[in-house]
Amino acid sequence: MSDTALVPESHEALPRISAAGGLLSWIASVDHKQIGIMYLLISLFFFGVGGIESLLMRIQLAQPGEHFLSPQEYNQIFTMHGTTMIFLVVMPLLIGFSTYLVPLMIGARDMAFPRLNALSFWLLVFGGFLLYYSFIDGGAPATGWFSYAPLSESAYSTSKGVSYWALGLLAVGTGTLATAINLMVTIINLRVKGMTLRRVPLFVWMVLVNGFIILFAMPPLNASLIMLLGDRLLGAHFFTAAGGGSPILWQHYFWAFGHPEVYIMILPAWGMISEIIPVFSRKPIFGYEFVAGSSVAIAVLSFAVYAHHMFVVGLGHPFDAAFSLASLTIAVPTGVKIFNWIATMWGGKIRFKTPMLFATAFLVLFTIGGISGVTFAMVPIDWQTTDTYYVVAHFHYVLFGGTLFGVFAGLYYWFPKITGKLLSERLGKWHFWLTLIGFNLTFFVQHLLGLAGMARRVYTYPNFPGWGDMNLISTVGAFVLAIATLVLVWNLIVSLRRGQSAGDNPWEAWTLEWATSSPPPVHNFDSVPPVRGRRPLWDLAHPDQADEMSPARAGGTNA
Amino acid sequence: MGPISPFDPASGQALAISNLFILTLVIGGVVFLLVTSLVVYASIRYRSRQVGPDPKQVFGNRRMEIAWTAAPAGLLLVLFGFTLHAMAVSDPPVSPSQSPDMVIVAHQWWWEVRYPQDGVVTANEVHLPVGRPIRLRLESADVIHDFWVPALGRKMDATPGHPVTYSISVDKPGLYLGTCAEFCGAQHAWMRIRVVAQSPADFNRWLSQQAAVPTPAKTEAASRGAQLFQSLTCSSCHAIAGTAAQAQVGPDLTHLADRQTLGAGVLDNTPDNLKRWLTNPQAYKPGSYMPNLHLSPDQVDALVAYLESLK
Amino acid sequence: MKVESNKLGMALFVASEAFFFSLLILAYLYFQTASGGTRVAHNQLDPLTTGAFSLCLIGSSLTIWLAGRSARQGSNQRAAMWVILTVLLGLVFLAGQGMEWSRLLGSGVTMAQGLFGTTFFTLTGFHGLHVLIGLLALSIFIGLSFSSHGSAPKPGTLEVLSLYWHFVDVVWIVIFSVIYLRLVFA
Repeated sequence: MSDTALVPESHEALPRISAAGGLLSWIASVDHKQIGIMYLLISLFFFGVGGIESLLMRIQLAQPGEHFLSPQEYNQIFTMHGTTMIFLVVMPLLIGFSTYLVPLMIGARDMAFPRLNALSFWLLVFGGFLLYYSFIDGGAPATGWFSYAPLSESAYSTSKGVSYWALGLLAVGTGTLATAINLMVTIINLRVKGMTLRRVPLFVWMVLVNGFIILFAMPPLNASLIMLLGDRLLGAHFFTAAGGGSPILWQHYFWAFGHPEVYIMILPAWGMISEIIPVFSRKPIFGYEFVAGSSVAIAVLSFAVYAHHMFVVGLGHPFDAAFSLASLTIAVPTGVKIFNWIATMWGGKIRFKTPMLFATAFLVLFTIGGISGVTFAMVPIDWQTTDTYYVVAHFHYVLFGGTLFGVFAGLYYWFPKITGKLLSERLGKWHFWLTLIGFNLTFFVQHLLGLAGMARRVYTYPNFPGWGDMNLISTVGAFVLAIATLVLVWNLIVSLRRGQSAGDNPWEAWTLEWATSSPPPVHNFDSVPPVRGRRPLWDLAHPDQADEMSPARAGGTNA
Repeated sequence: MGPISPFDPASGQALAISNLFILTLVIGGVVFLLVTSLVVYASIRYRSRQVGPDPKQVFGNRRMEIAWTAAPAGLLLVLFGFTLHAMAVSDPPVSPSQSPDMVIVAHQWWWEVRYPQDGVVTANEVHLPVGRPIRLRLESADVIHDFWVPALGRKMDATPGHPVTYSISVDKPGLYLGTCAEFCGAQHAWMRIRVVAQSPADFNRWLSQQAAVPTPAKTEAASRGAQLFQSLTCSSCHAIAGTAAQAQVGPDLTHLADRQTLGAGVLDNTPDNLKRWLTNPQAYKPGSYMPNLHLSPDQVDALVAYLESLK
Repeated sequence: MKVESNKLGMALFVASEAFFFSLLILAYLYFQTASGGTRVAHNQLDPLTTGAFSLCLIGSSLTIWLAGRSARQGSNQRAAMWVILTVLLGLVFLAGQGMEWSRLLGSGVTMAQGLFGTTFFTLTGFHGLHVLIGLLALSIFIGLSFSSHGSAPKPGTLEVLSLYWHFVDVVWIVIFSVIYLRLVFA
């Protein structure tokens, strides 16, 4: 039983950068940690932009018949809100954390393709710029984030907005595909000796599985976008009914991307939850293999459910029923995870620091979103609820109550590692409670609005009984969320300046990123502890109770 | 739950969906309570009070994994069975060869409503006889729209180039509200639907009256209005049966005075509101394709007198 | 069994692009059947000429394979010559594509012509773009091969580029079969 500590190899000399520090060293950086941080910063910026867009929408909807925004303004804003939150906030947040954490978690020096890594980030910046440039060149796109044809064709969307949208997303999507390949090769090839694929942290596992989804979800998006641009700019007829094209083809191709995309947006968050709940319960994850395996099932199934977005197109009952069955089936591996996370807490010694508060709330909020999701899988219910505020409630519960709460948990958890400072617990708890209350105020009532018959994507609504009150509650909730976000930003600033020093491993966690300083040195590790199980630092601290004692627990024998 | 809720079904089809939905919400509620109680219990019971030895390190339990995989799978399979049944009841098949009783063509941002077997054309307000299935063919003249009247049942997309025929029905007479439910551009919010369900006798009476050419009022103002309608640009978009105006660009106005609303629901149909609308439609439905014609107040009054007499 | 990182990365990229091309091909086939036949394709396309140019592209896969074999045997100069031949054959293919395109455009078959034009130009256009990018990469490889020692391409680079090049060739074989051979046999 050797205790040889390992030094991760550098596979190639990294390019020299003449500037030792300062802004240029960041712009020219190919270091995964710097690139990861830049992803997080840009996400925070666009979160503010997307948040302001949502506040503008909620002001307009606070009462029936408001004149705060014109319909044209409102329609651009809801389109940009959705597009921003998905492509410029959630995706970069998850990619940023993945980029920062994966090499550290596997004991590597950097990612497999550091320069490609930088290119991906700058493609995101470029794409975001293109998208927002539309505001000053004739108007932003106003067709919704999934831009159905033929509304998105030049006959009906006469400004250049939709073309900017398509080009911006092509840029961002290309960067995402490159990062997926980068992360997958990193995970497959650069793991430190002893870390078999059955021993990687679940976050790493989720990122790997996610890579496969991205690999096959980006092609339909790219195909859709270039076909739409062909129609708009070159007179092609892919989606124009008048030209013999098929608007329904757009839906098939877009949702073949769009549905896997929502799993792309949750898998890394599930990975974060799978790291955080065990550490704060002081127990290993319950059912590692099942949490991992169920993610693979979801990744495969995610391509087989997409047409549940098309139940109202009228494609026939056999078609609808097949996608209904697949959509119900995908709920099973999702539920398995929830039960495993709860079982991890069971019998533990739970410390409710801010990461654990967000992770625990995640379990409940994501379950709500999951249950409403199951109702959508049941075709006739979808026939009533699709395109109403019930959908808006559903996806905000899974994307905000799910992904974003998971990301907040991860932010409080890994901020100390990234910066060397702990975020304030006091401010963290304020952020948590304001977010929890604001979120539920904003979105729970939207279930009821949908069930009362309120369609989505409307700049105003008739004065039906109760609609004004419910919308007002939702608007108030949105402002509570705005205050919560300000608390978060304040916490970030204050803690960076004079936060408590974190040390290497403030949470007494067990995975390799905690085996180096906070923040890590440029080369990540001076030496990597031996890896003979899933929790190397636990094994190091508990030689007589090491996970490795039982090969099943350690993920196989040492190889 | 209100005047436009799927939980106030007015047809067997909508009832089937409502029942399925309520059952599912109850089951969902139980699952939610189960999960939440477990989370809350674990959070309280296993909260760490003080520093001490680590808890028992448990790695998993195969039996539990099987249990909490199989049980939800079984439940979901049962729900799938209910789904199939409700699909058949709420969306009964229509024979494709028979011609439709009603054709609805969706436009930005109004509904063209035709009764082909009787030669009737109207807009935005749908009349139906109760007690029998109606074959409805849904089309679109421009972008994708969606015809949704929650009390009657499912919504259905109106996709250009892809007409769909399906069956709707209503059990009892009344007014049922609906709306377009697929984002279709600037005025998606005001593309509302009114369904007036009538006894078969009342419906037939309505249908014959709609098929007849209206006799406008003989007042001086109304006659002037009739002339203005033909000489101004109105007739380049709107049709009125029995006149030279036959354009199909905008809603047919033949029996405008009978309708309950204007502008697909944005205003109630009263002479005052019609006056407001004609003075500047863009003030009420900005972005709609009816421009501000800058009519003089006299012209507006004449047109109102004419149009409000078209019963 | 570890696959070297550059090769693994290229393989994953190829898998993704393969799906992308499948979707464009699917759209072509869908519109061909939906619009009721291959009349425009029959009238306007010339399978024989395009077939001849296709042989150049297929030949270029052979030459790049030969380049790899020379490199494995240690004859780097000969390998570079085979790669030059690959690039030349690729350029001839692109010239053939260009000629076909200009003939079609001259006859009024454009992107806007109808469903055939829309799908044909999109599919062959993206394929041509992939060929062009491949030629650029191969040209850079040739340039680096003849430069001083410090910037010679690393061993394994040719193998990675070959993987991409063979992929581009296979995509063309599928496209050629779907668009041109279908006409011959339909």
